[in-house]
Amino acid sequence: MTTRRTAVPADPAQLSVLTEFLREFGSAAALAPAQVGNFELALEEIFLNIVMHGSEPGVTPRVEVSLNLGADAVTMTVEDDGPQFDPLSLPPPDVTATLADRKVGGLGVFLVRNIMDTVTYARTAGRNQLRISKRLAD
Amino acid sequence: MNVRIEALAEATCVIPEGRLDFDAAPGFQEALERALGAPGKAPAALIIDGAGLEYVSSAGLRAVLLAARAAQRAGVPFALCGLQPAVREVFDLSGFSRIIAVHPDRATALAQVQPGRA
Repeated sequence: MTTRRTAVPADPAQLSVLTEFLREFGSAAALAPAQVGNFELALEEIFLNIVMHGSEPGVTPRVEVSLNLGADAVTMTVEDDGPQFDPLSLPPPDVTATLADRKVGGLGVFLVRNIMDTVTYARTAGRNQLRISKRLAD
Repeated sequence: MNVRIEALAEATCVIPEGRLDFDAAPGFQEALERALGAPGKAPAALIIDGAGLEYVSSAGLRAVLLAARAAQRAGVPFALCGLQPAVREVFDLSGFSRIIAVHPDRATALAQVQPGRA
């Protein structure tokens, strides 16, 4: 079992730090590059959602990320101490809209839900917690 | 991410290499705007050659969508080509492959964007 944990402020400048963290986990856990890529995408989308929706003026939430390689799945937990915000409550984008009508936002969470097997949100002890997992067989 | 622009007679090609993430998206968007040119100086077509693209997130998709829309307004044929499977999957899931032409490689894209065939 391989586990990694890190914490960064919810600042977009930290994205490259998280990407590096994820890659290190991917190589320690001997994950396939496609699997690492899926988690990189999920982490970028979720982290930027926290940066954009999860901050009150003058306060930067702290974001904790943990990764775990289990027997048959990889699980990532992203927690932050910002205001309550459930990204899964965002309306899905209309992926059938025409080019002219297509909205530019709302895609991130939609992508995460589609590339991962399970995504769940909980508000526990004053923290937002998003748990994401994907089976290894993919 | 590194972005090259190649101006050909048939089309201007924008060639991103590496990761098109939140950090890279503004620079990529700028390159696309530059490639689309000023009104009256627009290229015959605009092609994003994604063969060297390893990763794309929603921030990158947004830049592509804005460029596709600007090209449509300017009457410039717009296409993507050469997407690697992981990147292609993101374009497919988002529904973008249905509103933007996606070709397997640059030669096919160039053949398809000829004026009058867009």
